[in-house]
Amino acid sequence: MLKSLKSTAVGFATAALMAGPAISEGHGGPYADYAGTTLIVNFPAHPHYDAVMKILPEFTKETGIEVEVDQLPYLKMRERQTLELGQDEGEYDLIAYVVFSKADYVYADQLENLAKYFMNPKLSDPGYDADDLIDGYVYNIGFAGGNKGYLQGKTGSLFGIPYGSETSILGYRKDIFEKHGLDVPETYDEMLDIACQIPQLEPGMGGVASRAASGHHASHAFLLHLAPLGGRVFDGEWNPIVNNAAGVQAANALKSIVDCGPEGAKNFGFGEALGAFLNGDTAMFLDTTVVAGQIDDPSKSQVVGKVGWALHPMGTRRGSQTGGFGIGIPANAENKEAAFLLMQWLTSKKGDKLVALAGGNPSRFSTHGDADVNAKFPHMATFGEALKHADPDWRPIIPVWGKINADLGTTLSKVLTEDLDIQEALDGVAERTRAVMEEAGYYTWN
Amino acid sequence: MSGAHKKQNSVFYVLIAVLVFMSVGPVLLMFVNSFKLDVDIIGGTTGLLFLPTIQNYETALCDILWYEPEHLDFCALKFGGSFINSLIIALISTGLTLVIGCMGAYALVRFRFMGRDTVSLTTLMVRMLPPAVLLVPVFGLWNNEFCLDKEGLIGGMIRESFGGRGDVCLAGTHSGIILIYVAMNLPFVIWILQSFIVQVPRSLEEAARVDGAGPFQVFFKVVLPLIKPGLAAAAIFTFRIAWNEYLLASALSDRDTKTVPILIVNNMSEFNVEWGVIMATGMLLAIPPIIFTLFASRQIITGMTAGAVKG
Amino acid sequence: MSIARVNRMTPYMFMAPAAVIMAIALIYPLGYMIWGSFRAWDPSQTIGEAEFVGLKNYVTLWNDPNFRESLGVTLKFAFFVVTFELIIGVGLALLLDRNIRGMSLLRTMFILPMMIAPVVVGLMWRYMYHPTVGTFNRTLESLGLPSVDWLGSHALMSVIIADIWQWTPFIFILSLAALQSLPRSALEAARIDGATAWQQIWYIKLPLMMPVLIVTGLLRLIDAFKVLEVILVMTEGGPGLSTEILALRISRTATEFRELGVAAAMSNYLLMLLLILTLGMFAFQRIQEARAARIRAAAEEDV
Repeated sequence: MLKSLKSTAVGFATAALMAGPAISEGHGGPYADYAGTTLIVNFPAHPHYDAVMKILPEFTKETGIEVEVDQLPYLKMRERQTLELGQDEGEYDLIAYVVFSKADYVYADQLENLAKYFMNPKLSDPGYDADDLIDGYVYNIGFAGGNKGYLQGKTGSLFGIPYGSETSILGYRKDIFEKHGLDVPETYDEMLDIACQIPQLEPGMGGVASRAASGHHASHAFLLHLAPLGGRVFDGEWNPIVNNAAGVQAANALKSIVDCGPEGAKNFGFGEALGAFLNGDTAMFLDTTVVAGQIDDPSKSQVVGKVGWALHPMGTRRGSQTGGFGIGIPANAENKEAAFLLMQWLTSKKGDKLVALAGGNPSRFSTHGDADVNAKFPHMATFGEALKHADPDWRPIIPVWGKINADLGTTLSKVLTEDLDIQEALDGVAERTRAVMEEAGYYTWN
Repeated sequence: MSGAHKKQNSVFYVLIAVLVFMSVGPVLLMFVNSFKLDVDIIGGTTGLLFLPTIQNYETALCDILWYEPEHLDFCALKFGGSFINSLIIALISTGLTLVIGCMGAYALVRFRFMGRDTVSLTTLMVRMLPPAVLLVPVFGLWNNEFCLDKEGLIGGMIRESFGGRGDVCLAGTHSGIILIYVAMNLPFVIWILQSFIVQVPRSLEEAARVDGAGPFQVFFKVVLPLIKPGLAAAAIFTFRIAWNEYLLASALSDRDTKTVPILIVNNMSEFNVEWGVIMATGMLLAIPPIIFTLFASRQIITGMTAGAVKG
Repeated sequence: MSIARVNRMTPYMFMAPAAVIMAIALIYPLGYMIWGSFRAWDPSQTIGEAEFVGLKNYVTLWNDPNFRESLGVTLKFAFFVVTFELIIGVGLALLLDRNIRGMSLLRTMFILPMMIAPVVVGLMWRYMYHPTVGTFNRTLESLGLPSVDWLGSHALMSVIIADIWQWTPFIFILSLAALQSLPRSALEAARIDGATAWQQIWYIKLPLMMPVLIVTGLLRLIDAFKVLEVILVMTEGGPGLSTEILALRISRTATEFRELGVAAAMSNYLLMLLLILTLGMFAFQRIQEARAARIRAAAEEDV
């Protein structure tokens, strides 16, 4: 009760503060009706959303809408959202969600369909230019109801907007590659080859920094290799094919990366893997694009200015990950219209550029090509190129995925630490996955 | 003879020094690291050759500082708020547990009544409950069952005067966390205090009763002052659990009622392990227990022995 | 008449607040949990909406290799932790049982680890175990020794070491207290009879301390099943399931896998295990008390 007292007091104070200038300065236009509203939003603790925190004051200044942010680590964020979205009336007006939460939320009817907001002339900004948003991400994060149920397609519609688009990219140490006359790897074979040469060329240094810790870290790292090597988790009929040749090859790739990796690589989460690269313990880094900001930050990084970027190496095809977050409006939110205004502002051309300049990951083609942004972050053009190869189907987005993902991650971690046979391990995953899918009703039509 | 004795003695003191180093070392390490920049921690500038900085503490405490630290773009951590939540929850739950607990212990020691054995046995049994076992039911009950309808009389009043949305539930409030902490700690407190109350001479109580004091007066005026050492010990242990607990608090708290342990675990976010800041928050969380240890170690030891030996 | 009624009501009035709170917040939730363990229960449902599935959750768990592995890890953890803590704690107590100046200061130092939040203990050790920047590997490196993959291939050992660090002092202090309250006369007599230090420990001190030791050990054993935060912060249960103790698995099942029913069933398994231990503790204590009384009487007779 005390806390409600506190938040109300804060609410009153801000309302009183905002009401004054909002009226006297005469905020006209679309935001006038909502000035003084306080939106409660749920964002992850993540470099992109740290950048968002820096630009939110700009939004408040412009619109008079206050934003209170509840920032949580993203697994926690999901737990919290599960609880909040299940209530009749929830606290959050706007949420950021991970891609695979999309399946759960849309399936349980907990996210607003955005059509009615974009149709509302009072809310929808005519200059928004939705075509400029990166296609793969809109389909991956925003759409539901199309092909396979979770992709774009004739039956699909929009439930969220990608915000904080990431893809995988290869960072490499220019100095090390130059010193030993190595070429930047284009293919998987080349990358694995160089990865295992590094420990001999530079004693004490590992090849590639990769996550591998039990759970979603290991699973993520595996899926990262699965798509470019030509594999998929399911075939067209939802049969698990994670144990086919491509799957085994991907697991082997992960294993050699970890074996030729830095000290302790078997138990690296994302933070440790990045830390190793920042500390100069590895020559390469293959993971999401969000790290660029930290690599250039001298208070965190020992490799400032030494890192070059290249596309995620090819296997049988190019297929980098589509990850990151989307933002959507919970069906049980209190201030849905104001929340839409915030969402539209954040993903507009202006907002996207602001967040990119603050160190975030832009979601628009135009921002990746923007001269100011490229002047500040020269890697942005490569990142834009990488986004074109982003594979929206690199991992399935179905409600039971959480369970399969946990199993996959635990099993792979056993492969890495306990030398479980790869084929046997993946066969086990496939078998258990089949049971999960059976129970969830995916084979009803077979 | 005395030479050998001396030698034995010096071996003995070396052993003690090693033990002290082992038990205090990690805490000191954390203390030292909390004054280093991340680059210094990770970069391996070993030893004590570094420039101490309070930057980590500034980052942690940014929401209650009177100035804005220069190195921060925005205040992400809000440690101050959590610290206040932790204080509120730990102090109130300790107070309640003590009052309720010693009344219960008194009843169990001094009176024979129907159901006494059942109560006594239940108390002992629930002392063994791991918090993890309570996680599922407490999560379910506090969120869904222990609620007041927002249309109802009291629920409506609460919503009207305090704001917020949805039915008025225990989850997400200080009271909700306090309730489960009081319940969790009661068995232990009753257990410890029993052994102290037994030692209060009955004659004193009877004398007071002859003077016309009622049972509650006897309890508060005669018994309570005599079991102060026991109360102190029980208070420290209760406070320690309420202050340090993570699991149940993380299931029950929302953004306004987060306690410090939750904040620390959350802050070990996978994207960015900021060792310096984490060590600073850890240090701040550890300060109250360290103070207790330094000033009340006698009571702690009394409590421990009473708790274990007087089963 | 009314005074008599008040008197009869007095114990109930004293007991009522504690009883009510424990009934609402401990007993009722336990019943609720048992009820829930028979259901397929999702966090977004209330318990009433969840489907009744009978014993399915229990059967699934029993056949689930992950659950069994986690149970195994829990038992291993508890066993090693308690064994080592008893050996080291009692050993130190026997070594340090003499009058030294500053003993109370020393004890203060030893209590410190116990009082610090498990979350903080976890993060300190996670830092010290860190493969490259951690204290241990840096020390090993500077000594020219190969570094150890603490939280990787030796994760269970590493979390056991952290727990031993935190809780050995508990056993040490209790054994020291027990040692110092032993009847001096018995020890005196033994010394006069020319018993060596070893003989004194083996035939007199240890048997006399035994009741306290067993209770302490069992208390630690029960507490070992409660450990969660330290491991959560250090390893999150990994790598694989190598440090995923039951308490952690319950919390993951409830929050990450979103299966409250299964988590409830798992809680019940853990509860049953602890119940057996607790009952064992009661029984042991009764037997030991009787035996200790006999030994003490015998020892005093000898004088």
